[in-house]
Order: sequence, then C-alpha cells, then structure tokens
Amino acid sequence: MAKTTTRRQFLIGTAGAAGAALLGRAPTARGQQVRELQVWHTEVEPQTVKTIQDTSIAEFERKFPGFKVRQQALGWGDLNTKLLAALAAGSPPDLTHLNPFMTASLWKKGLLRPMDELIRALGEKDIHEATLKLQFFDGKYYGVTHAMGATYIAERRDLRAQKGLKAPETYEDFLKLTAALTDDGKRHGLQMPGEKLYIGFVHPAEWLASNGGSWVDAKTWRPQLNGRAMVSTLEYLQKLNKYMPAGWSGQRYLDTLAALSTGKVAMVYLSGARTIGYIERYAPEGMRDPEHFQPMFKPRGPSGQKGISALDGENWAVFTQSKYPNEAFEFLRIFYSREHYLKYCHTVPIHLTPIFKSMLNDPEYLGHPRIQKWRTWHDFMVTGLSQGRFLPIGFSRPDDNLLPFLAELDGSGIVADLIVEVMVGEKNPKAEADRAQKRAEELLTQLGFKRWS
Amino acid sequence: MGWLLLAPSVLLIAGLVLYPILYNVWLSLFDKHAFLPAQAFVGLRHYQYFATDEEFWSSVRYGLVYAGATMVLQLGLGIMAALLLNEAFRGRNLLRGIVLFPYMIPTIVAVILWKWLLNDSYGLVNHLLMASGLVRTPVAWLGKDYIMWSLILTSVWQFSPFVVVTYLARLQTIPPELYEAAKVDGAGAWRRFVHVTLPQTRNVLFVIVLLRGIWMFTKFDTVWLMAGEGGVSRYVRTLPVYAYARTFTYLQAGMGAALAVIMFALLLGATALYFRLFRDEEVVA
Repeated sequence: MAKTTTRRQFLIGTAGAAGAALLGRAPTARGQQVRELQVWHTEVEPQTVKTIQDTSIAEFERKFPGFKVRQQALGWGDLNTKLLAALAAGSPPDLTHLNPFMTASLWKKGLLRPMDELIRALGEKDIHEATLKLQFFDGKYYGVTHAMGATYIAERRDLRAQKGLKAPETYEDFLKLTAALTDDGKRHGLQMPGEKLYIGFVHPAEWLASNGGSWVDAKTWRPQLNGRAMVSTLEYLQKLNKYMPAGWSGQRYLDTLAALSTGKVAMVYLSGARTIGYIERYAPEGMRDPEHFQPMFKPRGPSGQKGISALDGENWAVFTQSKYPNEAFEFLRIFYSREHYLKYCHTVPIHLTPIFKSMLNDPEYLGHPRIQKWRTWHDFMVTGLSQGRFLPIGFSRPDDNLLPFLAELDGSGIVADLIVEVMVGEKNPKAEADRAQKRAEELLTQLGFKRWS
Repeated sequence: MGWLLLAPSVLLIAGLVLYPILYNVWLSLFDKHAFLPAQAFVGLRHYQYFATDEEFWSSVRYGLVYAGATMVLQLGLGIMAALLLNEAFRGRNLLRGIVLFPYMIPTIVAVILWKWLLNDSYGLVNHLLMASGLVRTPVAWLGKDYIMWSLILTSVWQFSPFVVVTYLARLQTIPPELYEAAKVDGAGAWRRFVHVTLPQTRNVLFVIVLLRGIWMFTKFDTVWLMAGEGGVSRYVRTLPVYAYARTFTYLQAGMGAALAVIMFALLLGATALYFRLFRDEEVVA
C-alpha cells in the first residue's frame, strides 16, 4: 500500500534535513572560525592549479591550522578588472599576481606592502636580474616574479635552412626572410596575433624598445607615438603586412600557433613555450621536434641596438588592505621552497622558468622530459636573458616600471588602432602616428599625467 | 490612501529606473576613475570633448550602419519567414520550432559558432567556397573589409526569429474573410499582401521597428564578442562598445557615463521623432 506524506510531515522532514546538514558542516558553522587566505593568480592551466593546491596550499594549511587557502586562477584581463573592483570595494585578495605595468600605479597610490624581508629570505642575489628590480621603488621591493616566460618569434627552421638564410638581425633582414618564406597560395611567411593586447601594447612596446624609442619622454611623460622610432617601424610593418594572411587582425594568438603547427604560416610573431604544446598536438607526425620548429630573436629597427621582446612574468604582491599579510608572506616562502617550486615550474615547462639563477641549470629542473626534448628552446631563453633581450610585457625601456598609466594606455586601444590602420587599412604611417599622438596626449592629460607644456 | 497604494510601485520605479539614470547623468559631470575613489567635478567638459572626438562620431556612424542594416534585414527576412509559416503545409509546426532556435541560444554560442564558420584558416564557409571553385584564396570574413558584414550576418541570424514570432502571432489573428473578399475582387498574392496584410499588421510592425531599432542600436554583447578584443574592433566600434571601453578599459567612468547619457538622448530623440511621424497612422489603423 502506498504511503502518503502530509504537507506538515514534508515540511518537518525538510526542516530537519536542513538543520542536520547545517550542523553537520565543518566546524565553522558551529562557531570555530576558519580564516580564508585569498590567493589570486594568472596561471590558469588545470595542472598548474592542481599542483599549487597539492603542494604549497596543502603545506600551508598543515602549518597554519585554522587557515584555508582559496586560490583563484584568472586570465589577465579578468584579473586586472577584478582587482581594481576589489580594491575599490576595500576587499582585495591577500595575495595576488600583478602585471608589472600595473604595479607602479598601485604602489604610487600606497596600496602595496614592501617585501624586503621575503626577498632576502628567498636569496636576493639568486633572483635573476631580469626580474629582481621590476618592483623596486624608493629603495624597497614591492613584488617578486612568480616565474619567467620569454616570448619570441617561432619559425619553421627547416624551411629557412632550405633557403639557406641566416637568422635576421634587422627589420630589413626580417622583411627579406618573410618574403622568401612566403609561398603564394600555399603558405604565408608570417602571422601576428590580432588581439588588441598584443598588437596594440605588447608588440608596440617591443618595437619601440628595438628601435631606440619609448612610449613617453622620460622627463615630461609626453607620448612619443609620432617619433622617428614609431614611424619607421610603421613603415616596416606596412611592408610586412603583405606577407601575412589577409584576415590576421581578426585572428587570435592561439590561432597563429595552430597555423604554424599545421604549416599554414612559416613564422609566428608571438610565441613562447606554450607553442610546443601546439606543435606536439597539431604538427604532422615526424615534424613534432626542434629540428623543424625553433625560436628566433626579434629583429632590431634602424635606430635600435638589439631586438627586444616581452618577458611574461607577473609578480606576486601583497596589498596594504590585505587581511592576513603575514600569512601571505608565509605562503610565498612555502611556494618558493625548492621542492614545491620545481613542481610548479614543471607544470608548464620552459614557459614557467624559475626566477632563481641557481635553478636554471639545475639537473633536477632540466631533467623534465619536455625540457630534455626541447632543450634548445630553454637554452635560447637563457641566452636571451644573458644578452638582455627581454623586457617585461608592455615595457619600452626598463624604467617604464615607474609609469603609472600603462594600463590605461593599453586599455584605450589608441596604439592598436594606429597599428591596424597602418597595416591593414594601409593608411599613411606619419599621418596616423600624428593622430594617435594627439589621442594619447589627450588621454594622459585627462588622467592628470601631463608634465609637458 | 491612493498614494499609499501606489507607493511601492513608485519606489520601485524610482529606485530601479530613475535613480540609475539620474546617477549616470550626475556621474557624467565628474572626472571619475572607474574603480578608485578619485573624482573631480568637470561640469559639461566631457560632452564638449565628445562633440569634437573623432572616435565618438565614428562610433555613431558604425552604430547607425549596424543598427540600420540589421533592422532592415531582420524585418525583410522575418516578415517573409512569417508569411511562409502562416501558410498550411506539412511539417509547419516543426519548422516554426526550428526557426526559433537561433533566438534561444546564448549570444556567446552564436558568436563562437559564426566565428568558427567564417574563420579564414579553418572555417567551413571558406572551405565550401574554395571547394566549389568560387574563390581561389580564403576570404578574410573576420578581417577589416568584411567584419561589419559578418557581424550583421550573425546578428540577423540570431535576432530575426523575434520578428518572425511577433509578426506571425499577428498574422494568425487576421480574419480569413478579408483575404477571401480580396480574392473575390481578383487580388493576387502581392496585392493581398499590400492591401490586407500590411494594413492589418501595421500596429505590430510599428512596435517591432521601435524595439528592434532600440535593441540593435544599444546592442553590446554580439559586437563585443565578435570583435571587441581584436585589432579589427576598430571597424565595428559602435557607441555602446565605445562607452564600455571608456569606462572599463580607459578606466574613465565619468566619460563612459557621458557617452551613456548621449546614447540615451539620441534614442529618446529618435523615438520621439518616430512616434511623431508614424503614431497618428498607427492610432487610425
């Protein structure tokens, strides 16, 4: 016989179940306080997130009972927006990654805590010079890079070898190489990523740095978008555009890696160790190796000394408003402990290169199978570091870490419009540069950073 | 007592409609950072700036092209599809369901789908065009020359079903005797459409044009997802996208608010004009 349940019985049962669930929860619900350490970072690969959880977080929670670490992996754009919103609300995370081009602006507003003690504990002299002083303001350290990942051009080395051409040094060399590798109707010589972030910020900073230019005048902060360095670069880019797929400005960075791997282009302008993953997945069998795919330094302009490219490496930062700053620093000590840090760097080999000089040639670090197979890519990065060929993302010169408006300049899209109008729209480089200069001057004036008269 | 009963509605409208609009107007008079609590009163300076801002005028132009083209195409396709679905044939109910499909899927899915189809490296559209010999090299549908058309195509595909459903609903209520009388008078299909269907559906057309016009002019998600983060966004930067950019990427909330106010005023003006031009006829109808 079917048993019926009255409305009253149902309500009593539901309330009882809810009560039991509440009481049965972790001790927090009954009064014992569990404090939460909020950690935000930009390494979104699932294996990286899991490794942080299983190593640093697990040890931290063991050492600090009553604390629970909550990590949030966020993409770049999301992180910047979310952070600014959290700061405005007065509740930023305890510990976070920051883009070096944002750090100065936050430091200037008094939002960051110094971390000299931590840097000394980690080994000030062992931290690579390419990152050590990026967040060094007024004699104090305000950040420490989590790991380094160089960017460069990735090329089909076999194709260049067949043509008997040397690696390009200058813009002119690079134009010749790109033309030589273009096979009409079959393969384009080069592809750049179409995202504004890259085409309007990351690469222009590299071009300025590689051609003796800079975003702004060091003293007056007047933008230099119509200076000789930028205009001659624009002329070069306009020529380069002929060897790229017609729709490149609508394609993404990852599309370019796929195009390289599948043989649709001979070179991609933005590459890092992540490219290896694409090659191993999408390149034809028998070609998934460093004999066919290699990194290449970026060329220099007519007024530059050497080709410069971006060093991807966010820094950890602790806010003055952090709820648990001491624990945040303790977390970092655990994170950088050799045992955990090696595992972390191995989650995306070469892309997450250790910041410690002693680890760069450490057999245990180099012993990872992917690093062994793609060792030339690792060595290439080390060479680039020793030759001073990398600057942090968005920097046109080392002192750009002091500019508090790079995030706004990037966000405005002024430079992206300039590059796209000249390359794709085939507009006059000088006229477009003048237009961008006017817009950039207006922007810095509106933001209150005008120092020129 | 009457006021007391009205109070909850008045409070809700004031809180949810009037306050945000007035706060936005107020904000547009300040130089305000998007997130940090720094602000300074600047009066009408933002409005003065936009009056001569090339970006603003180009975004108005792009917005008008986008809204105009999508609206005309949605109306044309939507009305044709509704007329077809109003006829009796086998499988009509199934087809009516299928037609609704694009309108039901989330915008992000629709945009990803079209970006994938139109991609010049691996997209199906180029593959078919090349396989059929219509083109020799892939067409850069997402590049500078075609991005606006790709955006229009995606939007028309996604939003035409709204016109179909709304128009079809009205078509189904037209008394069949009117058509029969017209037939008796010797009217063909075209004349029946012009002299019976159009006058009968004038009311609903008035509303469709009004709503779709407003929605397309203020459309943000489709445009942003299609090209917002790309270098090519320059060629489809409509007014809502520019307002968003000023607020969340330039981090100038005051200027973003001023753009929102301008957009509101433009729409208000256009709507008033529209009512003035067409409302009398609509009332008579």
